[in-house]
Amino acid sequence: MMRKMILTTLIAMSLVTIATMGPASAHHSFAMFDLSQHQLVEGRITDWHYNSPHSWLYIDAVDENGQMQRWSFEGAAPVHATRQGVTGNTFRKSEVVRVVMSPIRDGRRAGAMCFVVKEDNSIVRPNDATCNAVGVIETWQSNGWLKSTEHLGEHPAEP
Amino acid sequence: MIDRRKIKTLSGATNASLALFLGAGLTVIASAQQGNEDIRSDEAQAALPMPPVERPPIEFKTAEAHYSYLLEQSGGGTQHTMATIPVWSGLWSAGNNSMPGLFLVDGTLAIAMAPGGEVREGVLTPPYEQQFKERRAEMAEYGEQRYDRLTNCEYPGVARWLWEPYIKEFVNTPKQTWLLNDLMNETRRVYIGAEHINIDGRHSATGDSIGFWSDDKLVMWTKWINPADYLRGMPLTSNQLELVETWEEAVRSDGVRMIVTQATFYDPVALVRPLTAVYTHESRPDLEEIGVRIRNWECVTSSNSYKDAEGNTQFYLPGDPGYVDARGTTEFPELPGQSLDPIFDAQ
Repeated sequence: MMRKMILTTLIAMSLVTIATMGPASAHHSFAMFDLSQHQLVEGRITDWHYNSPHSWLYIDAVDENGQMQRWSFEGAAPVHATRQGVTGNTFRKSEVVRVVMSPIRDGRRAGAMCFVVKEDNSIVRPNDATCNAVGVIETWQSNGWLKSTEHLGEHPAEP
Repeated sequence: MIDRRKIKTLSGATNASLALFLGAGLTVIASAQQGNEDIRSDEAQAALPMPPVERPPIEFKTAEAHYSYLLEQSGGGTQHTMATIPVWSGLWSAGNNSMPGLFLVDGTLAIAMAPGGEVREGVLTPPYEQQFKERRAEMAEYGEQRYDRLTNCEYPGVARWLWEPYIKEFVNTPKQTWLLNDLMNETRRVYIGAEHINIDGRHSATGDSIGFWSDDKLVMWTKWINPADYLRGMPLTSNQLELVETWEEAVRSDGVRMIVTQATFYDPVALVRPLTAVYTHESRPDLEEIGVRIRNWECVTSSNSYKDAEGNTQFYLPGDPGYVDARGTTEFPELPGQSLDPIFDAQ
């Protein structure tokens, strides 16, 4: 059964990396995102906009009250995502994914993607320069955060 | 396949300096050229090899004087044919540049868009220096410049065009050169052997460019450019900015092709005196191999970022009144075949 999980984790080890990374490729500021933390959201893909100037992934996930909510995640421009192995065909409609992202500061359901775990457990990196995805993936894997059922919680993905 | 006969080698001291700079950066480049790399940080880009700045032989007061001097030195320019003109084929991406060092002490791309860095005083005219200091102060307070004018789909303009990190293509013909940028479909057209013309009676994002060839080096003069900036976090340019640029292909010892641009900025409103910076572009055969092609796109139909009432950059999200669905439908959704996303819809 698909589960939804929102995990807020202050990743101290990642802070140094993030702090030293600059947004090399965006056409806008990243100041609206809280780059000091990462959250994981699990849901079902509704749209994958592999469009310039930035890609966006949209998923539906169930909140704590059992209500379906739309989440929006910004990624790199297609030309940059492509260099990281991500294309317009990377995601399927209705595919269940887990997105690790830096949340938007104003509390809406959105964030800057860092990496995405696909339904087959493969990991892809559509991230912009807001995140050193390779390092963050290693951190999450070495800490067992992606496998932990405790972190996955008990919230059903679909009501 | 690169036609080596078309590539002019850099000579003398320039070549030796270039080799020195390029040698230090080969590891970075080798990593970046392998494909599937993580996105470049500013630090990585700032570590890319960069040849030395070549300032004009004389400090010219105007771009016109500079351009006229170079034209005279080249004997009126080289008349290329399609058989002899340099071929800068393939995809290119921005490399490093020395521009941040013009405005920040020890400035590099690594700190151009990040807080910190000491503003060089006396480089910009007083009002532009004051604005630049305010911009840097905002970055120190918020960690980043809160709003970038490109957010609302404004064109980068020429100074920023030289750095924009999207994909570019360069096409040379005897009468025109086309410098194509994926970002905002912004194309610079260079009219070879021509005079400046402005029947529009206005400035534009890319201005008006004329040029000539000096052997395999393209010399350009651009004017009538909209006020813009050098980069997010960097100073503003005025509507009096004019540039004289030289563009030339070079090949590193490891075979990687580069385009080296020496750009001299003439802006009597914003600059105390003209400034010169070097910019590079790198050939990206790795992107061609994985199928990257430049596609036309419209920022206003695919960007949901905007400047909010407090001056911050924000996003319209699905459900917001201002949200635009880049993969939605035309204004005739009731008709079959009006989806903008038929491939994804068919899954």
